[in-house]
Amino acid sequence: MAFFADKDYTQDQAVLDAINAVMQGNLTLHWIDANTEKVRGRASDPRRGLTYEDLDLGSYGFSSIPEFVRDEQSMVARGSEKWGRLPDMGYVVNRKSDVWSDNVTTLYEEAKTRRWAPAVDVPWAELEINPLASDLQAACAQLYTFLQECALVALDFPARWVPLINQEFIEQKSFMCSQMLDGARLLEVFRKRALYTGAGLGRASVTAEQGLKEWLWADTYPQGSLAINILLAGFMLAAYRQVAAVAPSRVDRAIMGYAMQDAARQVSYGTGALRYHLEHQPAQKAALSGYLDEAEHVMLALVGSPELLEPLIIISGGGLEGAQVKSGRESVVKFIRLVVREYLERVSAAGLDRRGNSRLPAIVDRVSL
Amino acid sequence: MGYLATTNFFEDREFVDKWLYTIRTGELDLSWMKAGTEKVRPHVENPRRGLIYRDINLGSYGVEAIPEKVRLNRSFAPRGAEIPEGVPDAQPWVSRKSELWAHNTDGYYEEAVTRQWNATTDIPWDRLEGVELPEAAGKALSQLMTFLTEVEMIATDTPATWLPRLNPDFIEVKAFIAAQVMDEARHTEVFRKRALTTGFGLMKASPMNEMALKHLRDADSFSEMSVALHLVAEGNVLTLFRFSEYLSPTDVDKKIFRLVMQDEARHVGYGMQHFKWVLEHFPQKREILHGHLDEAENISFAGGAATELTESFIVLAGGGLKRENIEKGVRITTAFQLKQMQEHFERLEKCGMPERSSVDRSKLWAMFEMGKAAAAEAGIRF
Amino acid sequence: MAIRFPSTDYFNSLKKLMEADQARFRRLGFIDTTFGVSVTHNETSRDFVLTFEVFELKEVREVEKIDIAQVDFVIAGDAAVWRDMLENIRRNGEADAQHDLNTLAHFGEALKVSYAEPEGHDKLYRFMESIQEFFDLTSQIEVGF
Repeated sequence: MAFFADKDYTQDQAVLDAINAVMQGNLTLHWIDANTEKVRGRASDPRRGLTYEDLDLGSYGFSSIPEFVRDEQSMVARGSEKWGRLPDMGYVVNRKSDVWSDNVTTLYEEAKTRRWAPAVDVPWAELEINPLASDLQAACAQLYTFLQECALVALDFPARWVPLINQEFIEQKSFMCSQMLDGARLLEVFRKRALYTGAGLGRASVTAEQGLKEWLWADTYPQGSLAINILLAGFMLAAYRQVAAVAPSRVDRAIMGYAMQDAARQVSYGTGALRYHLEHQPAQKAALSGYLDEAEHVMLALVGSPELLEPLIIISGGGLEGAQVKSGRESVVKFIRLVVREYLERVSAAGLDRRGNSRLPAIVDRVSL
Repeated sequence: MGYLATTNFFEDREFVDKWLYTIRTGELDLSWMKAGTEKVRPHVENPRRGLIYRDINLGSYGVEAIPEKVRLNRSFAPRGAEIPEGVPDAQPWVSRKSELWAHNTDGYYEEAVTRQWNATTDIPWDRLEGVELPEAAGKALSQLMTFLTEVEMIATDTPATWLPRLNPDFIEVKAFIAAQVMDEARHTEVFRKRALTTGFGLMKASPMNEMALKHLRDADSFSEMSVALHLVAEGNVLTLFRFSEYLSPTDVDKKIFRLVMQDEARHVGYGMQHFKWVLEHFPQKREILHGHLDEAENISFAGGAATELTESFIVLAGGGLKRENIEKGVRITTAFQLKQMQEHFERLEKCGMPERSSVDRSKLWAMFEMGKAAAAEAGIRF
Repeated sequence: MAIRFPSTDYFNSLKKLMEADQARFRRLGFIDTTFGVSVTHNETSRDFVLTFEVFELKEVREVEKIDIAQVDFVIAGDAAVWRDMLENIRRNGEADAQHDLNTLAHFGEALKVSYAEPEGHDKLYRFMESIQEFFDLTSQIEVGF
């Protein structure tokens, strides 16, 4: 084990004496006059309930978190009194502007209220009542196999970082926890959809997975957030909108309707976090731009992956007939342009103008019918 | 960067040309249509329950098809998909089924998804308007809430630490762990919110318990983490929630404890099923787990010496600071602590580790025996 | 009596139905967004600003011209497209796949979504189910054009 308690408490006389004293009614009451701020939080709008924003009060508030959290490495709840020997948890993200976004509390509250359950909120029976043509079924199975690979990475990313982020940023960490549940739910619904119509799963994508691993394994949280919360989530949001728009069934439309809500929260956080980061650390603009010079090629690995491109053409056109494929190609070209345009808009709005540096627009301009 | 894709796709001319060609000509390769994967036809067993994981538990996609040692999938590919050469290694640490598996994991997950509640809107916070608890009880409640919010966040960090380390073939376990992480974030939130609505704010940290919790996060293996977190720590906390619900000074507090209790019971359920599974399928681990339980129980015992928790519980249970209140509180708290230990050993026994209930095997058992005798002498029943 | 579209009366009718069906909209979750709806007929547009808060439509007002900086996004389109969508909702009880907001606005070819900030634009998707179900309430009223 990497960590042992400092003593065998069952054999420590001082500990046993302390327990005995308390259990004989001799209380120390050392906690009763804790040196903390006395507050009484109230819901500002009873319809909305008691939100984290309602509790942004004094020393407890997220507004009072300093930019550099220097003297807190334990699990102590922000605002409570510290005493005694507290453990060092080894957090590596201790700077507020590395993780914070002004909309993070809103997004966390939103994530909880906009919950859904794939088992019961998707009209699965529709697929039996109105079965799809076999080509469309196969294309859907492949597309949903691909989306599972993306969703798994979107799930693993917050899990990789949440234990490394300082406990002081509790609202932000809570939002990341909600992202994990979102990721698990998407994995679930995509798997169920892929298997339900009988086509089985398709083929994993080498190019997409290679790229996704590069994004997932980014060195720093700001880099990773940019890659996963903006690039990947932006791509996925556009893909969900695309599939919803051409939905081969009510089931696909329902799935994509819910998925786009989850992905939109993710990009909103990602954009907000990037903006906050650059506002407080303007020197990072060049560094992150440099990171994107290297990392943007992964977008190509996703949109160019045959395991995405081909089923998306078939689904967008409605089948494999010549005219359908033509229509599908036209739609997918627009989709690819949309993905890149919206990505550039998002980073630009956050303070990182990539329009002169990104290689994506030029390569997308080469996409033609 | 931590990992670089084997190709820079901007520079991969063959890849780019093929992509552009496909779009330009519509000549689709369609090789993915010939993926060597199984065709299955799931059926919704119970329409009221919807399409659940169990309905798709078929053939090569099913949980029974997962081998004890997952050798073939180390990528991000979903279980049962065709995995071509060249996918990356996702670097999972846990690829052995018995290291993490539990009967009914999918059921616990689906239950978690449908039973998500919201600390913001599902608690009748407005009913606290005008509620003034007596000072001692109010401070004791705040201290209890301070402790609970403090420990719940580590209950998010610990499972989250393991989530990306689990082989992607174990989808159901990953999903369950993700749901647990969200449950614990909600617990952190609801206890923090309650502390900050008492009028007393948060109180004092609990160093002894923090040291104990670090032990959970730093376990050597998933199984050891699960034993310490799901079985020992959450088992103890489940008993604590039950007693806290009983002692709750307002119906708002009762509602909070009822809701957190159902989440915690699910986590303990998974922990028990996993412990049972590992003992049955990975017998070599039994002694290792005994060693880990020695530590976990030591730490669990240390919790009793965290006076800021024990004392606040006594004050809350007794209803005040007068002598008679304290005496009443001590009796209830003694019953609570013995109940915690009793249920801990009962769980271990049910999972297939009855030998733990012995003074030769467990120091905590020895303390439990002593405590029982003292309680009997004092006429305390639990 | 038919309620004319577009008009504040039309949106207020949906507002009442939304309030009456709280269980449905509470299940969908918070909706916090202010957006514009612009309906063009014969090159003249009628513009509305809708403010949603918590689970409800808090306010709707007709404006001379939508200030894009003051809203999250604007959904604009020809009256015929809006009419087609609403008649589809009336027929089916809800918009079908060819007539829902996402489909009509996806590439900006039927309805066009404009915005000053991408985060405002993202709110369309964050609250898509609520917004769609709000418009789907049209199935419960008589609409004239």
